[in-house]
Amino acid sequence: MTALSIFDLLLERVTAGERLTADDIAQLAATPDILSIGMLADALRRQMHGTAVTYVRVASCSYDRSFADAVSPVAREVRVTGSPSTLADALSAVRSAKEVAGERSVSGFSWLDVLRLAAGEGSTAARVLAELRTAGLEALAEIPLDAVEDEAAVVEELHRAGFERLRLTIASAHASAHTARMLRAAALQDRLGGIQAIGPLPMVLDPMRPTTGYDDAKAVAIARLAAPNVATIQVDWQRYGPKLAQVALTFGADDLDNVTASDEAPDGRRRAPLEEVRRNIEAAGFSAAERDGRFNLISR
Amino acid sequence: MIDELASKVLDGSRVTADEALALYRRAPTHLLGRLADAIRARRHPDRIVTYIIDRNVNYTNVCVARCNFCAFYRPVGSSDGYVLGFEEIFRKIDETIAVGGGQLLLQGGHNPDLPIAWYEDLFRAVKARYPEFKLHALSPPEVLHISRMNRVAVPEVIARLVAAGLDSIPGGGAEILVDRVRKLLNCYGKATADQWLDVMREAHRAGLRSTATMMYGTVETDEERIEHLIRLRDLQDETGGFTAFITWSFQPDHTERGGVEATGVDYLRTLALARIVLDNFENLQASWVTQGGKVGQLSLAFGANDMGSVMIEENVVRAAGASYCMDEVEIVTNIEDAGFIPKRRNMHYEVLGDPIFRERDVPRMLALATARAEGDTSVPDELRQYLARSRAGKQLRLAQ
Ligand code: SF4
Repeated sequence: MTALSIFDLLLERVTAGERLTADDIAQLAATPDILSIGMLADALRRQMHGTAVTYVRVASCSYDRSFADAVSPVAREVRVTGSPSTLADALSAVRSAKEVAGERSVSGFSWLDVLRLAAGEGSTAARVLAELRTAGLEALAEIPLDAVEDEAAVVEELHRAGFERLRLTIASAHASAHTARMLRAAALQDRLGGIQAIGPLPMVLDPMRPTTGYDDAKAVAIARLAAPNVATIQVDWQRYGPKLAQVALTFGADDLDNVTASDEAPDGRRRAPLEEVRRNIEAAGFSAAERDGRFNLISR
Repeated sequence: MIDELASKVLDGSRVTADEALALYRRAPTHLLGRLADAIRARRHPDRIVTYIIDRNVNYTNVCVARCNFCAFYRPVGSSDGYVLGFEEIFRKIDETIAVGGGQLLLQGGHNPDLPIAWYEDLFRAVKARYPEFKLHALSPPEVLHISRMNRVAVPEVIARLVAAGLDSIPGGGAEILVDRVRKLLNCYGKATADQWLDVMREAHRAGLRSTATMMYGTVETDEERIEHLIRLRDLQDETGGFTAFITWSFQPDHTERGGVEATGVDYLRTLALARIVLDNFENLQASWVTQGGKVGQLSLAFGANDMGSVMIEENVVRAAGASYCMDEVEIVTNIEDAGFIPKRRNMHYEVLGDPIFRERDVPRMLALATARAEGDTSVPDELRQYLARSRAGKQLRLAQ
């Protein structure tokens, strides 16, 4: 019963708007009591967002394919996928994405792609970012906290190049380092600002050693609790699937990223993705709101 | 109101149908989970989470019941219809034993061309070859079907099957034990709610243990879901014969009924509610086959204490779109990762030991087997010895 009362104290502090310390977070991360962690994260997310859950419909297209065919009119963000080998390819992909996107935002690439392209050109990350930005890129799809050496320098570089509403991500799972990374993200936000979202679940899935449901739920909840100064905790709808993504909403996530923008899918299960997203949000007791790629709500 | 109910549950008192409904509708998901977890912890303070290595074999897909939520069955005379031969079943048993399993979960369609003698002969043949091997077979509607086709009363069907080697009965075919729902699902004819419960009562009286199940997410109301649980709880008070409860969501793909599947959070809430209402059930299984490994594992925080079967074969929910697969290594990883201690068990929930793959080399199985290879339309030889009832069945025998 003592364990319960520790959580009750933490819950009181969270609902009083107090930020938990690094020690609190580390202690929470060490317990297998997933429900208590979830309860705390949920209390915090409700303070920040009430019952609102946002989602964004994204048209993804590989850099070497035709954007005109891939981008549905209902998409709110166009995302360039894949890693082009030259800056020229990257720029032409962004340009054609922007042409199709019109007013809608274009995202794509990882910070690592930026470094690679810079190295290939004998140029600097700053130059590459500036050129991508001019071509129409508004956001990097991935800024992987577990794969950059000096994340503060990266954030500063992105700010200088005019990138706003940054989205920090995780490339591959390494559960034990997760808490420290989330605390670093929060510290970064305190110092530099401009971070809109954290995507705490790994982008690369290892089929031989997939993360477990506990791993994922805990990763989401710890992200929420460790970084109360970052507005959005998001889960990739297509990567993680409806069941886990929905459960994540009850563990502190408030945004579903990367909902398919096409209403035609080959497989009957994924029929009418929009309806399925909204149904899942509502069945978890939340209210669904669509947003655009710049995190603005779209009134319906 | 919810707080009062919560402390009532934590005190260990029984909830009424109305209280269960209030909890299900109004309690936050984490609170439901906590209550269910507290009950789980009380019943299983050792933090052991069990699983069984067995094989889910569907001996025939020919079925006259035509439940509209089922994507598995084929009508009598269909060219896709099959009956497994005894040799095929032996082969499946050999494969099961090779990965450390000791039981078949044997269920099938309501095939009019399999008389009771076929079942008796099969069970005897299995027991003659594998005396230690267990048969967890024939859900209540199948028992009823055999009773009707052969004009033998249910208690006698059970007695004869037990004499032939039946060890226990799976709780399938319960769906929702409310006749309004059963009529809408076209499964009232195969067994009414009372009939399903009566077969279980007879089986328990005969000394068999069984599981109980619930398939939710079709047309039932919340009240009817709870009525189902209460009916199971009542019978358990009476007989004590249920070992465990398993619930899963209706899998709509390729079914006549169609529609959408209930969500993951619905599953966790339903599971937690079941743990709260079924206060006289020792064990609750997680349905990772329908929910996937992740929500399957999270079930352990919402009242489940058993990961069910290390699935070697699955045909029924696979036909309806679910195709999650986990072998023993993965099940054990999931249990340990959630902070529990994995133990192998038998159908009676007796602990058999630690994971088998830690004791000896077993092949990893990363894909589920099926009842039959695609396109295999062979007809087993021994079928000829059994009288067919349907016209199609008779023609098949003649053609053999
Ligand atoms: S659920 Fe069972 S009884 Fe109903 S149609 Fe399918 S195989 Fe037949």
